[in-house]
Amino acid sequence: MQQPHFWRISSFEQADVQQPVPRSTAGRSRKIVMALGLTGALIGGASLAVAQDANTEALKPAILSLKASKTLLLDVELVGERLVAVGSRGHIVYSDDQGESWLQAPAPTRQLLTSVDFVDDRHGWAVGHDSLILHTSDGGESWSVQYRDPEIDQPDEENFGFLEKPLMDVWFRDARNGLAVGAYGLLLRTEDGGQNWEDASFDVDNPDGFHYNALTEVEDSGLFLVGEMGTMYRSTDYGYSWETLEEAPYDGSWFGVAGTGEAGGVLAWGLRGNMFRSTDFGDSWEQVELLTPNNGPLESTLSGGQLTADGRVVVVGVGGVVATSDDHGRGFKVTVRSDRVALAGVAGLPDGNLVLVGQRGAMKTDAQGVSKSSSAALTLPEPAATEE
Amino acid sequence: MSMSDQEEATFMERLVFNHRLMVVVLFTLVTIFLGYQATKIRPDTSFEKMIPLEHPYIVNMIEHQDDLASLGNSIRIAVAIEDGDIFSSEYMETLKRINDEVFFLPGVNRAGLRSLWTPNVRWTEVTEYGFDGGPVASRPAYMTEDDLNELRVNVLKSGEIGRLVANNFKSSIIEVPLQESYPNPENQSELIRLDYGEFSTMLEEKIRNEFQNENPNISIHIVGFAKKVGDLIDGLMAVMLFFAVAVAITFCLLYWFTWCIRSTMAVLVTTLIAVIWQLGLIHLIGFGLDPYSMLVPFLIFAIGISHGVQKINGIALHSSGADTALLAARRTFRQLFLPGMIAILADAVGFIALLVLDIGVIHELAIGASVGVAVIVFTNLIMLPVTISYLGISKGAVARSKRYAASEHPFWRFLSNVAHPRVAPIMVILGLVAGVGSFLYQKANLEIGDLDPGAPELHADSRYNLDNEFIISNYSTSSDILVVMVETPPEMCSAYDTMEAIDQLEWRMNNVPGVQSTVSLVTVGKQVIMGNNEGNLKWQALSRNQDNLNNAISRAPEGMFNSSCSLAPVLIYLNDHKAETLTRATDEVKAFAEEYDTDTLKFKLAAGNAGIEAATNEIIASSELTILVLVYLWVGAMCLFTFRSLPATICIVLPLILTSILGNALMAFLGIGMKVATLPVIALGVGIGVDYGIYIYSRLESFLRQGMPLQEAYYQTLSSTGKAVLFTGLCLAIGVATWIFSAIKFQADMGLMLTFMFIVNMFGAMLLLPALARFLINPEKVRNKKDSFLQH
Repeated sequence: MQQPHFWRISSFEQADVQQPVPRSTAGRSRKIVMALGLTGALIGGASLAVAQDANTEALKPAILSLKASKTLLLDVELVGERLVAVGSRGHIVYSDDQGESWLQAPAPTRQLLTSVDFVDDRHGWAVGHDSLILHTSDGGESWSVQYRDPEIDQPDEENFGFLEKPLMDVWFRDARNGLAVGAYGLLLRTEDGGQNWEDASFDVDNPDGFHYNALTEVEDSGLFLVGEMGTMYRSTDYGYSWETLEEAPYDGSWFGVAGTGEAGGVLAWGLRGNMFRSTDFGDSWEQVELLTPNNGPLESTLSGGQLTADGRVVVVGVGGVVATSDDHGRGFKVTVRSDRVALAGVAGLPDGNLVLVGQRGAMKTDAQGVSKSSSAALTLPEPAATEE
Repeated sequence: MSMSDQEEATFMERLVFNHRLMVVVLFTLVTIFLGYQATKIRPDTSFEKMIPLEHPYIVNMIEHQDDLASLGNSIRIAVAIEDGDIFSSEYMETLKRINDEVFFLPGVNRAGLRSLWTPNVRWTEVTEYGFDGGPVASRPAYMTEDDLNELRVNVLKSGEIGRLVANNFKSSIIEVPLQESYPNPENQSELIRLDYGEFSTMLEEKIRNEFQNENPNISIHIVGFAKKVGDLIDGLMAVMLFFAVAVAITFCLLYWFTWCIRSTMAVLVTTLIAVIWQLGLIHLIGFGLDPYSMLVPFLIFAIGISHGVQKINGIALHSSGADTALLAARRTFRQLFLPGMIAILADAVGFIALLVLDIGVIHELAIGASVGVAVIVFTNLIMLPVTISYLGISKGAVARSKRYAASEHPFWRFLSNVAHPRVAPIMVILGLVAGVGSFLYQKANLEIGDLDPGAPELHADSRYNLDNEFIISNYSTSSDILVVMVETPPEMCSAYDTMEAIDQLEWRMNNVPGVQSTVSLVTVGKQVIMGNNEGNLKWQALSRNQDNLNNAISRAPEGMFNSSCSLAPVLIYLNDHKAETLTRATDEVKAFAEEYDTDTLKFKLAAGNAGIEAATNEIIASSELTILVLVYLWVGAMCLFTFRSLPATICIVLPLILTSILGNALMAFLGIGMKVATLPVIALGVGIGVDYGIYIYSRLESFLRQGMPLQEAYYQTLSSTGKAVLFTGLCLAIGVATWIFSAIKFQADMGLMLTFMFIVNMFGAMLLLPALARFLINPEKVRNKKDSFLQH
């Protein structure tokens, strides 16, 4: 079993900040190149070629593309009047017209970004592969790197193979205190708005290094963390001490978790349409029955979801599944979109409409997840229609 | 035979006419031998001959041919149901029978066959316990509603919608990979080369006709290189019929021109003999008949007829002054052998200029056509006069031509006005305006490459292209694929740095207008990594862990990397194959390679049909000017040599240039691109078109030398040769015009363009040449000049 690693903390407050003097010359050249790459990323690629020749690990800025809002996006968040979504190739897109049109923000990476969280209209964090943490202080229009897996630049020679540790979710309590969680039990914590990230992986009892997939705040209770192989943790002090839930209701992986809007109310979901609900912050669980429009049991994987500002719970999944609940997760209405595209995240708009993100980017839909201009090309003969 | 005739006679004339019988016997023997050779000629649509083998793209492609093989040569059979959908027992049973039928076709790579019925088409699902999966068609038969429901669920889970199953669920595809050569079923150690023509016929008979006739609710659509080539061969056969049509029309015209059945038959037969010789000779050289060289017999026929007509015209004129047919034939031979030779030499070398274009079929076209016109020297310049010397020309025809020469011709009188001092400037200005206007128009609108969607070789409404259209509109695929070959040292194709660079390339290409999507081992690898992580979308990225990457690509389909893991093709799907789209894509790949190529990692263009088209376009763009310059230099040199006069050369060449420009403008107007098929048209059109100018100018000069003023001299020219020139133009045009009806699109384009070139060249020579002469030729000078090369 893979031992947890001891991660060096590095700070990337500014890309061109002087790095500590490294011990080995090989290390130095990598560091310099890394700094060059970051500088290049921020000033627009002038020094890009230099960085590329010397070290392919250097960060390259995301390519600005008209297709950025039409390719894989994994998370979307409503920030005041603005929607911000993150996804593949360092794409960060934002919309100021409720998801009708999108602009791409320059971002200093081309890695897959998995999650985004804002504490107010201006301050937000995005996380992704390479344990990247990006920060914005202007509502998502520009981003800088706060943290990146230090092992990429200082590979541990003793180790057998590099362990890829993507961050999967990020949550901030306020502009200073936040957590980022990810694969192999990685948990990072900051108390100064991300200027310094501390590896707090050992705070959680996760000897097997299971992946953490999602983290959420539960009304009047604390934080709830879910992951691989049915793992569940909760924290009543917002991330300093973690309690393992031994009596997990299910041993498959959890892909998402959300509060229900009621005190102590938690919803967790994962593979093959499995969804469980707790009203007591995880002490006891009951399964939520999800039925397809044909009244068969839903068997698609549920990926992302959230409690919207107006109290609805919306969960989306692969195969174009959109499940919505108006009663704090007691019952869900399931829509299977005709395009059957894999969905990863959702944001609820004040007018009740939804913005979905997934394999084909962002889509604005009605409250049930149906696109207004439904693509007629992709219609599927349903079994129900043929049954006599 | 009088002594005087012998004295005047040239060596050639004595050689031929003093041994007439031997000549006839010799020609008969050669015709029998070459005729036998000609019967052995076979259609040849070898793929390699149609592409520029020396182009770096193609060199790269051929270098990796074996590794790319599994990507390329397959056909796709879409089996569609009109009423209902594929989830019915009627459909599934038919599909199964078609699948079995296809399985046993010779040349099919049976292990690679994919359809809803083959076990290699699987569904997968991520469960709590890992991957779950199975073949989509898990039951031996689909009879009950339950069976069909299970099938429906499996199809949905298979991820084949848009690939193997149509987006509207009304058809599904049988993917049939082919083997270029396969073991003989009777003798396993012997390899049989796949015959595309035969394979295509089998598809039509055993698959399409069989199952469509059996059940009108089923329709079959077949696309793929093998099917396309098969259709081309079918089209080739149809062209044979056109030849018969051209011969029949020409026969009528000839009779109308000569009013003499004997000479008509003589011309027709000697010209057909020329065609037989040409076919026999190219078979001896080792060429086959491909859709391009197919044009040559038509051209040879047309050129032969036009030279034959001049001979007959001459013999008819001489007959009135000669006692015997032999004497008339000898005199005509004496007069026309040399100018005929020169005109033919001009043609032949014009064709040779095409060798600049480094494409096999064009080389064969150039060589075949040159051989063909050389043959005309023997058949129409030597054998025809000898034949006529035996047969003679009917008295009526002789009298007719005499009457015609003596009478006044109001039409020619009227036409001679173009040389009038007041009319000539108007003609020149009209020509100039047309030339400049067309030049600007073609400059703005003429595109390089094939512009039509689908298979450009075939018409847009051909069955193949309709099938292609069906598949493109019902499936998420494009038929225009550009392949970039990524080279690495062995075992390095899955290295993170390689994969990361490929990923960057793919995204850059995705952002090029005209690019639909890309596929490579990276695209597949990301999906597998996601699958290995329980299908979690958040893992859809390359892993820096090499074991993960190796594991990911091990599940990639065949062809995504080679066996030594040193080559990974990147498939770039394009909207179309217009030159603009191709250039944009290839330029972006080149820019990317410039930036990312290292000593060990190389991004190389290009394979795939779009890669070949891009290479062809580049070859055409770079040779177009060279060919034009060569052809015009040669034609100019010929004129200069013949007439020893620069102004005369200009008079002859300028109308030709105008025609070339008009031809380009016509192509732009009709939406025909500058491509392999249309580039030769210029060389052929100019090489043959110069005949008119040489013919007209040589007569004009002879009349000027007699002291006539320009306009009168031109009238006399028209009176004596106008009819022959018109007739020649018609003959040439008819020979190629039948091609317009060819099932093969580029043949139709060639036919149209050549017809245009021949006719417009004729008018250019008749209308513009004398007008230019008004400005450039000083009759005084001509009169005082010493004898030109040609003695009239």
